[in-house]
Amino acid sequence: MNAGEAARPRGGFEGRLEAELVRVVTERGAARPEAARPAWRRQPGQVERAAGWLLRSPGLARALVTTPSLLLPWLVASAGVLAAGAAATLGTRQPWVGLLAPVVAAAGIAYAYGPGIDPAWELSRSLAVSDRLVLLVRALAVFALDAGLGLAACVASGAAVGITFGWLVPMTALCALALAVATVSRSANAGVAAAAGGWALMILSEQAATGRFAAAVTGSGLVVPYLAFAVICVAVALYATRIPREVS
Amino acid sequence: MNIEVAGVTRRFGRTQAVAGVDLEAGPGVLGLLGPNGAGKTSLLRMLATVIPPSSGRLRLLGRDPRGYARRKEIRRRLGYLPQNLGYYPGFTVAEFVEYFALLKEMPPASVPAAVAVAVDRTGLSDQARAKLRTLSGGMLRRAGIAQAIVNQPDLLLLDEPTAGLDPEQRVAFRGLLRELGQNSTVIVSTHLVEDVGAACARVALMDAGRIVFHGTPAELTARADGTDAAGDAPLERGYSAVLAAARTGAGARS
Repeated sequence: MNAGEAARPRGGFEGRLEAELVRVVTERGAARPEAARPAWRRQPGQVERAAGWLLRSPGLARALVTTPSLLLPWLVASAGVLAAGAAATLGTRQPWVGLLAPVVAAAGIAYAYGPGIDPAWELSRSLAVSDRLVLLVRALAVFALDAGLGLAACVASGAAVGITFGWLVPMTALCALALAVATVSRSANAGVAAAAGGWALMILSEQAATGRFAAAVTGSGLVVPYLAFAVICVAVALYATRIPREVS
Repeated sequence: MNIEVAGVTRRFGRTQAVAGVDLEAGPGVLGLLGPNGAGKTSLLRMLATVIPPSSGRLRLLGRDPRGYARRKEIRRRLGYLPQNLGYYPGFTVAEFVEYFALLKEMPPASVPAAVAVAVDRTGLSDQARAKLRTLSGGMLRRAGIAQAIVNQPDLLLLDEPTAGLDPEQRVAFRGLLRELGQNSTVIVSTHLVEDVGAACARVALMDAGRIVFHGTPAELTARADGTDAAGDAPLERGYSAVLAAARTGAGARS
């Protein structure tokens, strides 16, 4: 730091101590040549550069590539779970990929961004790139990537076309639920728990009602309720991240 | 005026954190003093556009922060150090400062130089490539200050900036504050009266959600004259005298 001008003079031992500290700091500052400043520069990776071009915002791109649930270990874990699901589907002829993919994506969404997962959340609410925009971009990216992984796993497992796409709608609803709970509770773990619990309840209740294990992803009558539920959850998440204009 | 606050209140449930504050500030360093729970942090969070006021009028850098576009313009020219700075343990100091420079929408071409300057001004050049998880509390605080000043803000809000700094770092930081205050409006919330005495041209003292004194450090010191107010330094005695007067109903603004 540069010491700048001297502190206001104060009497007694405290004043002398402060004056001595000012002298030491000033001398150190003067002895430090400006040329010694490190020429620091970080080279953005290809993904970040592409995201920056696509989003027209280097800040948003940087926020995107630092998403916890888009980091390599997380992606490897997600791919592993879906690969296991594909293997189970091949072995049992039950749509395990369709049943697993929504929970995998919901966990990714819960860990994408928010007060429970982002350490600098308070600071992020004072920045020009709004926290909502970061949340939206990260959530969409996680959703798209997990949907891609799920589709690849479905193709690998040789599932029927109807089942292949049947889980996308419940996945949307479950992701919205995870997002809403994680945002409201300020806990990513709560978001994951709500999504996993909700999905387990859904599967069990559909099995009880229809006798079919996979009815939660194959029942066409559930599409509208799933979408309506997703809309409600997204509205809750938007409400929880709003900046109210008046009394709160 | 970079800050115009009129009748601003802020309520959290049943708690009245800020109970009607009027404040105007132009370039210079303003120290915000007060006991715990006085409302300093809530006022600072409103000035940082993190939370809105419950009522009252707020204009920052000549703009009303309620509109999205105007709020964004304010935020581009704002520096903020929260009381509890969250950080990313895996980031280096330079990456941390750069991250916020980009999210403040600084032109990308100017970011590397701005990061180097901010890191240098906070004395962290030697730690620029160190991971944040390896830094001491004082160094983390300085990294927080570096991200706050990286965009050379017109309005700089610092909540307890000297917490965790050693005496030498605090002296250097006060020099930095005076330097920044020459062109910007700097508001420093602190418990440390000596920081205010050394670095602030003006001081506001808050108690129970209100500003009970606004003037120069010398005027605050003079408030202790003729009283038996407690304190080890003249400014501390002025602080105690104003608080005592405010709590007995005799307090008044300078």
